[in-house]
Amino acid sequence: MMKGMPRGAHWVLIVLASCASLATGAENRKEFHYQLGPHASISLVNQFGGVTVTPSSDGRAGVVALLHSGKMEVDATQRGNRLELRTHFLHNASPDEGRVDYQLQIPADASLNVRSTSGTISVEGINSEMVLEGDAAAVVVRQVSGGHIHVHTLSGPIHLANLDQGDVEVVSVSGPVTLDNTDGRMVSVNTTDGKITYNGDFGDGGEYLLANHSGDIDVILPASASVDITATSAQGSVTNDFPLHPTAHSALPITQGKSFAGTANAGSSSVRLRSFSGKIHVKKQ
Amino acid sequence: MTCAEFQAALPYIIDNGGNAEQQEHLRQCAVCADLVSDLKYIAEQAKLLVPMIEPPTKVWDGIKSSLQREGLVKDSARGGLLGSIPLTRWGPANWLIPVALAAVVAVGLFYYQSKMPQQQATAGAQASEGNTEAVVDTPTVPLQFASMGESQDQQVLSEVAAHAPALSPAYQQSLRHVNAYIADARKLVVSNPDDEESRQALLEAYQQKAMLYNMATRHALP
Repeated sequence: MMKGMPRGAHWVLIVLASCASLATGAENRKEFHYQLGPHASISLVNQFGGVTVTPSSDGRAGVVALLHSGKMEVDATQRGNRLELRTHFLHNASPDEGRVDYQLQIPADASLNVRSTSGTISVEGINSEMVLEGDAAAVVVRQVSGGHIHVHTLSGPIHLANLDQGDVEVVSVSGPVTLDNTDGRMVSVNTTDGKITYNGDFGDGGEYLLANHSGDIDVILPASASVDITATSAQGSVTNDFPLHPTAHSALPITQGKSFAGTANAGSSSVRLRSFSGKIHVKKQ
Repeated sequence: MTCAEFQAALPYIIDNGGNAEQQEHLRQCAVCADLVSDLKYIAEQAKLLVPMIEPPTKVWDGIKSSLQREGLVKDSARGGLLGSIPLTRWGPANWLIPVALAAVVAVGLFYYQSKMPQQQATAGAQASEGNTEAVVDTPTVPLQFASMGESQDQQVLSEVAAHAPALSPAYQQSLRHVNAYIADARKLVVSNPDDEESRQALLEAYQQKAMLYNMATRHALP
């Protein structure tokens, strides 16, 4: 059809198409700003697409939503110190059509509740209570001090990095869970068949539980780690390459290759590793 | 009628009062009478809890101290089921709480049953030889977990199929895996009834299921 066009007309069409594309892009970018008080509460429900949350420098919340089609809109409601965001579908849409990517900047002390079916939920620098939930959504949490962090996924992988002195609860059916330099007062990871990897020193004075049904559990810790470890796998195996002092009167029945218990340094953090049929491997960094 | 037979029909008895034979057993057996009384009380209390915005801390403290008293959990197990519930803000976990509570109660009852060998032995002696196995196997029967049993699984999967059909296969598969987790954890408890690790594993397996139910139900929300 375009073969018959004069050469100049091609360029006109390209320019027009570019303008239209830019205009469409502008229409699909929504931006909202809210003034919030201390310890605000923010919730976001998204279906398809990523969510990125970072701290704002003032008490305001900034929301940028990139909508990939006109089949949905963003419902944003502020009621007092509570902000609710939700992707609202106007028509049936495929995952590609229904994709909305959110970028949130919120006060670091705001509590956060994010739910997404897919995409990646990424949170950095928020030091409050957060509940992050995804079916297949990957969840990444970084640079958090204190707070209460609850992460739930069906199959989405979970990565926590540089978390300090918080309470952490992770539950996933099959998502692999990786914790890097994550310590806290109470850290609990429970999966069915998701692999659990912990890389760090377990801090000081915390209680850790890493448990699953059939996934492996790998723990890599430095020589300076101060831990009191028990590990047991009923039908799997346990191996330890980390220098531990055997616990004299362990409550855990010790069976070669199936369970062990021991302490390193002052043993200030309690670490329990439990699997039904997975392999548990503790090794030195 | 043996205690095992009576307890196998507990949901029906609690809902409908039971038949004449079951009522007779209820009058004669103090253990089962106490069990029914406790279950009814818990069910009533659970109904009261649901509409609350925030439950009194003493509710959780009471449950927790009961479980600790029974030796089911220890204080250091805060990262387990009780510790996993956001105590200061229910938020979207409203639906999870009764389910989680049911799981706690169920495990509590499970433990309670395993602690009455005397009564079970009596019942076993009265039972015919064919029933002996049923009595012995009572702790393995997921009766006490009826609130998270097969029919509830189907209901949850139906909700997912209706509201998020694309996720149906993932939920079906996950539920299969979680049920396998529960089955294995239950076997551990049966083979090591005094082992705290085994009981914790069972709690954690049910925690998985509670989360799965919770997430599935959210897809039915507007």
